[in-house]
Amino acid sequence: MARPAKIPVERLDALRHRIPRDERRGMRTDVIVYASDRLLEQIARDLSLQQAINVATLPGIVGHSLAMPDIHQGYGFPIGGVAGTDWESGVVSPGGVGFDINCGVRLVRTDLFADDVRPRIRDLVNQVFRDVPCGTGSESSLKVTKPQLDQVLVRGSRWMVEHGYGDERDAEFTEERGELAGADPDKVSSRAKERGQPQIGTLGSGNHFLEVQFVEAVHDEAAARAMGLEKNRVTVLVHCGSRGLGHQVCTDYLAQMGAAMQRYGITLPDRQLACVPTQSPEGRSYLAAMRASANFAWANRQAILHFLRGSFARIFGKDVRLELVYDVCHNIAKRERHEVDGKMRDVLVHRKGATRAFAPGNPELPPAYRATGQPVLIPGSMGTASWVLVGAEGAMKETFGSVCHGAGRLMSRTAAKKGRDAREVQKKLEAEGILVRSETRDGILEEVPEAYKDVDEVIEVVHEAGLARKVARLRPMGVIKG
Amino acid sequence: MYEILEHTADIGFRARGATLEELFEAAAEALTGIVLDTGTVEARERYELSAEGEDRESLLVNWLSEVLYWLDGKRVAFRRFHVRELGPARVTAEAEGEPRNPARHGGKLDVKGVTYHQLRISRRNGEWAAEVFLDV
Repeated sequence: MARPAKIPVERLDALRHRIPRDERRGMRTDVIVYASDRLLEQIARDLSLQQAINVATLPGIVGHSLAMPDIHQGYGFPIGGVAGTDWESGVVSPGGVGFDINCGVRLVRTDLFADDVRPRIRDLVNQVFRDVPCGTGSESSLKVTKPQLDQVLVRGSRWMVEHGYGDERDAEFTEERGELAGADPDKVSSRAKERGQPQIGTLGSGNHFLEVQFVEAVHDEAAARAMGLEKNRVTVLVHCGSRGLGHQVCTDYLAQMGAAMQRYGITLPDRQLACVPTQSPEGRSYLAAMRASANFAWANRQAILHFLRGSFARIFGKDVRLELVYDVCHNIAKRERHEVDGKMRDVLVHRKGATRAFAPGNPELPPAYRATGQPVLIPGSMGTASWVLVGAEGAMKETFGSVCHGAGRLMSRTAAKKGRDAREVQKKLEAEGILVRSETRDGILEEVPEAYKDVDEVIEVVHEAGLARKVARLRPMGVIKG
Repeated sequence: MYEILEHTADIGFRARGATLEELFEAAAEALTGIVLDTGTVEARERYELSAEGEDRESLLVNWLSEVLYWLDGKRVAFRRFHVRELGPARVTAEAEGEPRNPARHGGKLDVKGVTYHQLRISRRNGEWAAEVFLDV
């Protein structure tokens, strides 16, 4: 792995660090890193700080180039990075969204408790493994025609609900109601559609997973109550994105933008950062295709919830209820209104491995969550814990209403596999009460808990910094690895 | 000829070839080998692949994106590649393989995309080499 150059970082307080804009030529703003000293030391080991500096060179960037405590090296943008650009005069960067457009997390609560599920966990995990296609090249049992796919790209979760794959509540408790406006299926290539058509309702591979969990601890009673969470209640967390469709959209537009950047006179330190003016024809086309991909991802996670309901009904009887707590995306660029330097501005907020975290009172939130703030869902590594938080005022003031998205990788896949045996890892997790199933052995080894930062430490930073508040910690019982 | 490289979140490879054509073939084989088990693929059919780019780097990235589209979109498993023509802005190739069959070819990783991250194409002592990172 490439060794990063030493980058001087100023300490602002115990959790905030700054790389001033005069550190490198071309920086238009400061980089602000949210991290404890220990996390910062881990962050400095890869290229993520250099990438956050590169983001600070984007034309039209407003506020700061922000690095969340789970930040790690990505492509162009760091993963765990947030950047806002001026809606009228700034740029849009597909690299600031990533290949997996609207990769995100969906949290489902059941009316079961840990003691109900524990004796049946093996049957349940096997059933879910049969019902939710996962692993590489998996195809869905949900077949859509080409015209239907175009409708999915415009209407997202709403289309799924209208066609019997969920209820009205599911759409209501999804970011943007699972239907991001401004999507245009004509801006999505036929190649992207071809890749996506058989994949609605598939988990994929890599770090994507589905987890049966229980609420281990509640930190905020009122917020937990609003979400229907209480100690020992069983939940299911789904982590996946827009599959081949979104990946191809990113590939298509990156290929176009190289040449377009020259026309617009934009030069950048990293080709993967490719960007064009948001209001240019290329910029508008990308955003319309990105929004369509986002809707596809919401439809995908909605289909998975539909399959899950079937799995639970089969094991626990048809009266078992699965209700959506919330669904948030963590790879997206969205037009939002934020206060920057005392003025309200229209900003295109790029969240690359970062979760929206709107504070209480925000009109975007479903009424049930207006008083508590937006649920923020942070999946941990396989076998540790996941967290539910709520967005807080600090995020609105400092980070365009955004926080971290996970634990953040520490180790490469090759390093994670070295000296480990999949069966032993599985056995060790089972002894801790966590049953793991995966299509491949590598799928388990590459995602061992040791390959990730400590999720609790990451959460502590955003909680203490006032960006979000802790609500509940979820402990896994059964994991299905993509 | 290729070897796998490490990256915190993802995966990469270093491909080599005596000529640029061989380098492009090796890179396509590396990508295929990351997605599935190439040893199990039979060369039963032939496929025509092509890509364009504005320079050598973008030509390589777009070429690999083309291979990825065939693997993931057209569901084809490749055994080997033969570059027919390689110009400064265009590559055409013939590939041998068969329709993908997960039971036989296995599935190792879903590759999301081919990146420009630390992309390097070099020529040393008469040998071409390229380092490419993939988002998985």
